[in-house]
Amino acid sequence: MAYNKPIPEPDPLSRPFWDGAKAGKLMLPRCTDCNRVHWYPRWICPFCHSRNIEWFEGSGEGRIHTFAVQHRAFGGWADEVPFVTAYIDINEGDRMFTVLRGVDPNKPETIQIGARVRVEFEPASEDVHIPFWRVI
Amino acid sequence: MPGELSRAAAIVGAAEANEIGYPETPKTSLQLHIEAIKNVSDQTGIPISAIDGIFSAGWSSQIAEHLGLHPRYIDTTSVGGCSFEMHVHHALAAIHAGIIDIALVTHGESGWSARANQGRGTGRPRGMGDPWDPGSQFSGPYGISGAPSNYSHAMTRHNHRFGTTPEDFAHIAVVTRQWATLNPRAIMHSRETHPQGGPITVEDVQTSRLVSWPLTLLHCCLVTDYGGAVLVTKPEIARSVKTKPVWIAGAGENMSHSNMLEMGDFTATSAAASSASAYKMAGMGPEDMEMAMIYDSFTVTAGITAEMLGLAPRGEGFRLWKDGHAAPGGRLPINTNGGGLSFNHSGMYGMQLLVEAYRQLSGTAEDGGYSGLPGKQTKARSCVVNGTGGSLSTTGTLVLVSD
Repeated sequence: MAYNKPIPEPDPLSRPFWDGAKAGKLMLPRCTDCNRVHWYPRWICPFCHSRNIEWFEGSGEGRIHTFAVQHRAFGGWADEVPFVTAYIDINEGDRMFTVLRGVDPNKPETIQIGARVRVEFEPASEDVHIPFWRVI
Repeated sequence: MPGELSRAAAIVGAAEANEIGYPETPKTSLQLHIEAIKNVSDQTGIPISAIDGIFSAGWSSQIAEHLGLHPRYIDTTSVGGCSFEMHVHHALAAIHAGIIDIALVTHGESGWSARANQGRGTGRPRGMGDPWDPGSQFSGPYGISGAPSNYSHAMTRHNHRFGTTPEDFAHIAVVTRQWATLNPRAIMHSRETHPQGGPITVEDVQTSRLVSWPLTLLHCCLVTDYGGAVLVTKPEIARSVKTKPVWIAGAGENMSHSNMLEMGDFTATSAAASSASAYKMAGMGPEDMEMAMIYDSFTVTAGITAEMLGLAPRGEGFRLWKDGHAAPGGRLPINTNGGGLSFNHSGMYGMQLLVEAYRQLSGTAEDGGYSGLPGKQTKARSCVVNGTGGSLSTTGTLVLVSD
């Protein structure tokens, strides 16, 4: 069945991320002046305001920062409720958002903040593979 | 004779984006903003980090977040091509008032590139938002819709960090409903005004249907219509009109992020910073506040904000409600109109906060037969008012006092 949920549009800023995702790599932006990783992608480093930013392949691992269970959603996601959304502290620093896999949305008390997670990519279209994180 | 604001501030630099006109590679509006900002910073030697006020035609919170700034003055006046001259005017006033030292007035508009980009990257909402906004590109695919689906993550984190529970926050909904029963205009005033109106219990809150765990329906505000307006004037006029003045003793604003992806601490908001500014201006502190009007989009919003305003220790904001202090007859009445939870919430609830604060401090909370029932008028002579916008993103605080 075709992917029926929102598909992001790669743009000139985010293109390296989506190219990496298609190859199964979690690409991250890093400032070559202050060496800090930021998320989401920027035209300028939000920490030191340098415009020297490079992309590198991240570990694809992190931990759950916080989460919620969505019981109401729209479009393609409406068919999936309940599902768990989570903010992920990635090992390289800063934070990503995801729908969490490998958890039971009907037992939120069993989901642990701080639990280790790993990224995986789901093909949503030929061009766009969307990252999701799974508890390991 | 020159006016008081004459020469109170100066423009010290002006720069453009690297490429303007018809760029070889189509650009986004955001990119054009950032290039110009970097260039004017280089030109003047003023680091971007020193900017404490941001003025743009609608872009300010997105630009500030992109730059990692937490400005004390945020202006998004967007009334057409003259907006930027107005921004300079507003910046002059803000600098003269001592609120900020360095104002950034910024503009980026991909009028030509937008065609090649098919309208994307312009910052103008297309349906659910600009698909080329780099923040929403990485939160939009994941099934969240509307405020509850975001705010719930803050409750989970607060529970984790402080050992609080959803039941603790449910007391906020219960007490706020008590106030609504004293306000005939509140949606949830009684069974006559709404099938589920009238008093509620913690159990009612916890057993209402799940919207976004841990938030049930009764942890969430209403969705209603509303109109409101206030008039602000100078002391000479304020003393001469027939109504009572309520003085703006202090004011402050700030922001921590625009997209929740950038919310560093899910148990804290920029209300700590905006209230610090407001209290400082007022020469007053949280201990001087005799009531509070706190944006309660969700129970968790009110609970956390009470902590940020210094009305309760960290992790214990909910206790103001649970222990009855915020309730009718309590030592610190909060949300005396019945709140966004039970009175009215139209989407942007800040005006409702202002109207009720004026009514309370002017002693008219029970006037007219529609603004309140006996028991609604408090004895408060001071009120801290805090609005929260976005996803626990932007905050504005006022310290209001009566004569």
